[in-house]
Amino acid sequence: MLLSSLLLIPFLGCLALLVWPGSPTPGRLRQITIVMLVAQLILSLVTAAQFDPMAPGLQLQEHHSWVPGIGLDYALGVDGLSLPLVLINGALTLVSAVITRDISKRPRLYFAMLLLISGAVNGAFLADNLLLFFLFYELELIPLWLLISVWGGVNRAYAATKFLIFTAVSGMLILGAFLGLALLTGTVDFSLTPVLSERLAMGGQLWLLGAILIGFGIKIPLVPLHNWLPDAHTQASTPVSVLLAGVLLKLGTYGLLRFGLQLFPEAWARLAPALAIWAAVSVLYGSLAAIAQTDMKRMVAYSSVGHMGYVLLAAAANTPVSLLGAVFQMVSHGLISALLFLLVGIVYRKTGTRDLEVLRGLLNPERGLPLTGSLMIVAVMASAGLPGMAGFISEFLVFRGSITAFPLATLLSMVGSGLTAVYFLLLVNRAFFGRLAITPPSGDATSDARLDVQLNSVAPRETIPALALAASIVFIGLVPSSLGNLSEVASTALANLTAGVG
Amino acid sequence: MSDALPLPLQLIWLVPLYGFSGMLLSLPWATGWIKRNGPRPAAYLNLLVTLLAVLHGSLAISEVVTLGPQHLDFPWFQAADLNLRIGFDLSLTNLAALELVTTMSLVCQVFALGYLDKEWSLARFYALVGFFEGAMSGVVLSSNLFMSYFLLEMLTLSTYLLVGFWYAQPLVVTAARDAFLTKRVGDVLLLMGVVAVSAWAGSMEFADLYAWAAQAREQNLITPLAGTLLGLGLIAGPMGKCAQFPMHLWLDEAMEGPNPASILRNSVVVTCGAIVLMKLMPVVALSPVATDVLLVVGSISAIGGGLVAIAQVDLKRAFSYSTTSYLGLVFIAIALQQPGLALLLLFAHGLARALQFMSVGSVIATTNCQDLTELGGIGTRMPATATAFLVGSAGVVGVLPLGGFWCYGLLVENLRQLAPLFAAIFLITNLLAAANVARVFRSVFLGPALPKTKRTPEANWLMALPMVSLTVIVLLLPAIMQRIDPVPGIGAFSLPVAAAVVGSGLVGVLLGSLTPLDAFWSRSRQPVVRVVQDLLAYDFYTPEIYRRTIVNLVASVARLTRWFDIQVIKGGVDGIGRLSMASANSLKLTVSGQLQSYLLTVLVAVVLCITALQAVRGAI
Repeated sequence: MLLSSLLLIPFLGCLALLVWPGSPTPGRLRQITIVMLVAQLILSLVTAAQFDPMAPGLQLQEHHSWVPGIGLDYALGVDGLSLPLVLINGALTLVSAVITRDISKRPRLYFAMLLLISGAVNGAFLADNLLLFFLFYELELIPLWLLISVWGGVNRAYAATKFLIFTAVSGMLILGAFLGLALLTGTVDFSLTPVLSERLAMGGQLWLLGAILIGFGIKIPLVPLHNWLPDAHTQASTPVSVLLAGVLLKLGTYGLLRFGLQLFPEAWARLAPALAIWAAVSVLYGSLAAIAQTDMKRMVAYSSVGHMGYVLLAAAANTPVSLLGAVFQMVSHGLISALLFLLVGIVYRKTGTRDLEVLRGLLNPERGLPLTGSLMIVAVMASAGLPGMAGFISEFLVFRGSITAFPLATLLSMVGSGLTAVYFLLLVNRAFFGRLAITPPSGDATSDARLDVQLNSVAPRETIPALALAASIVFIGLVPSSLGNLSEVASTALANLTAGVG
Repeated sequence: MSDALPLPLQLIWLVPLYGFSGMLLSLPWATGWIKRNGPRPAAYLNLLVTLLAVLHGSLAISEVVTLGPQHLDFPWFQAADLNLRIGFDLSLTNLAALELVTTMSLVCQVFALGYLDKEWSLARFYALVGFFEGAMSGVVLSSNLFMSYFLLEMLTLSTYLLVGFWYAQPLVVTAARDAFLTKRVGDVLLLMGVVAVSAWAGSMEFADLYAWAAQAREQNLITPLAGTLLGLGLIAGPMGKCAQFPMHLWLDEAMEGPNPASILRNSVVVTCGAIVLMKLMPVVALSPVATDVLLVVGSISAIGGGLVAIAQVDLKRAFSYSTTSYLGLVFIAIALQQPGLALLLLFAHGLARALQFMSVGSVIATTNCQDLTELGGIGTRMPATATAFLVGSAGVVGVLPLGGFWCYGLLVENLRQLAPLFAAIFLITNLLAAANVARVFRSVFLGPALPKTKRTPEANWLMALPMVSLTVIVLLLPAIMQRIDPVPGIGAFSLPVAAAVVGSGLVGVLLGSLTPLDAFWSRSRQPVVRVVQDLLAYDFYTPEIYRRTIVNLVASVARLTRWFDIQVIKGGVDGIGRLSMASANSLKLTVSGQLQSYLLTVLVAVVLCITALQAVRGAI
């Protein structure tokens, strides 16, 4: 019942918001949402407390037949792979609700969609049935499309449509693979546990795995399927970007591990060398593209492309250490990119621009954004993999687990990690160091430059979510066993599963 | 395991934490939560915790002297076959290095109180120095490679923040960026080495690594290529930290940061890098190529740094290049398997260089000027500073019987038969360093007073106290070296060697004293001299070479990727979108209203689908 309540709370909350009588103010709606999300987070923590990290397999399982004819069961379960993701979903949805302050357009729908996404994502992570997963995977798509296309930036229609088409293709491929699995094995059992693929010929496995890879590769996103992401991020509002980068991309990597690696171990082992190279290409491409960006948000978006590549590398290497690294990387990327987007959002709100050629010297202690700037330094350092923060231990585990299997791809990915330092340092150096000024991109810097800038100070309540994220990043970086204990058994089991086959 | 150990040793893990806690204690003032009483309390708290670190260190030393070396470790993170631990090697050498680090930090913090007297972000400075000190104390005590790497990267971060302390100035912005990126290149290469060696050797304790290296050598566990790459990766990190060619650029630019941080950087930070290299040397020695690279890099840095130093007109830069040059000598000593002597040189150099930088800081604080051509005639008015400069310089070079002399003597004696070429490099470096200090001393302290140096009172007591104390320590250094000396006797070299060292130093001093120094004509009119002078003054044009090669390369590839992303990928996606819109629009016009044409379309589509499905199933 515990896991169902993780779905029920946000779904009921969504429903309640939609039918709430009268015309409540946006502030009141936000409060209701926050209460719901706090309850959800508390329940996630209760789940974590009840979870036995030493026991293998899915726990706290719930199982009800739904539509037995097509093999759709309402089956939930949690293990060391999904639990951390459920936790960051709870935390980051709360963060995005908290940082939504000035919503004037259709607040009711906005907060309802936020809750709907959170519930759907929980459902996808907890689903123990392929079709159930697919339902939740698609369910999350619509509210996100609305969030971008209603509350987005100037070019939102383009970005939202692109997002919709890409993700719909992703869903189709995944559904196709799931149905193909049933078609080829001749059974309609969509529960996750049996390794159905063992009965299949290698050719069939490769086809199905290929569809899964491209399907989830769009969601992660991997180069060259990433094109929707920078546009979606640039047009989405800050809270939506936080959700998108922090939680929704993780559906892709989670699916890759759960439905790629776990369902098709043999085919996976066959494709692994190519996947490792794909990962390295993705990492390098994302990092290099980020260097050339001048929009801060686009830069962070491309950094996501690069950093999610580490997860593919780890999955390809498929050793206990690398898979644990993959879980770490998912969590730490979730927290770090959420923090980055949040801070970029503050900068955008205070200065009205995100252009690195316009902003200068924001670290100015009196007239600038000193605390935001300091947190930005923390965030970029965490993203660049500086020790003491979550990014380092994740990258270290990924690299350490992958180097013996794929030395070249691992070394190239490490170069990508070095490039992360380049673009994020450029970001901090350009926008935060130097003398405070907001200069228009072209024209004479001396005459047009606004040197007398006086930015509105950032209220403490605006930075509290950022401080909380930064604190959790440092906490995981200093006490990695907190997360490691949750996931180690699951990642080792996953690696052993395939080791026995290969 | 550690139950029997006395308390100061059991609690040795506190020592790095003192520094880090200093950072946390400073935060309320650094962030401006407490404004009322100014930033000074943060400084005092930091001084207090650093003093605790010094006292704790000395207690630990006295225990280790009686009990012998100890090892302490704690589990940190374990997963599958990976076991990451926090480990401390409490040998006398490590604890001596710890005392050097904490004492220098203490001295610098007192100095900074005077130097940064009216700096309103004083608390931020102290927070960063606390972080710096904590990371360094951890590096010197660390017993495993993982922890060393972890803390070295923290040093990179704090160097970046300290260099970028005055972040509003344009030169500081580029300096901080270059410092971080240069070190980061070294760190990433080091990380590659760390990850590889961790996967191969299974453990990251230095002791286990040595055993693995010996085994690997005997049984050829790794291919020569892998060994070479591993060795090169492992030396890259220390090369960046110690500002060795070709990663030396950052130290020069880092001189834009506040002087007290420069003192630490030039004396103890580089020392930390060299100590890590020393600990790694048995693994690096697996590869003859890596050892040769160390020798070449060390030699280029030693001679090149010495030459470039002479051509600098900036007071701080003249000595930062000299630091590069000395660390080159340390690299040579390490590569030639003389770790004891390398340590001795590091120790002597660290203290004397710090003193030199303190006197430089005192000059800069008084005159607000660090351009050699605008300084002059300070000597009589700032006697303590002049004395500190002389003693510090004498401690670095081998002329008077201070630290530098004995180190040179021992090293030249040892290398004379082993590698005479490198003995010669030591002597040449000594000559260049002596010439450099002599010329700087003349232009700063002698001669007539210039406009900027007419009113130059002696430094305030907060700067003078640490400076004078350190002067005494540097004067007493030979006696201290005699006591901690890891090799038998500091005078274990022959008279000709002593004569050669003194001779090279004297020639240098003579050269430095006799060269005409004219502020107005500091850039020569003779074309040949001028070319050489510019070559050295601009550091062999290394920044330009970097800009044209690696920076340009990364920037172009990044632009190319962006172009590809926009033109090919985005263009492709948009093209498909436009194509489907266009085809839909044209299909719209083909609507005829005739049933048979619709039926035909449906039929063709169904047949196509079924054929495709059969083809797919056939393929499977």
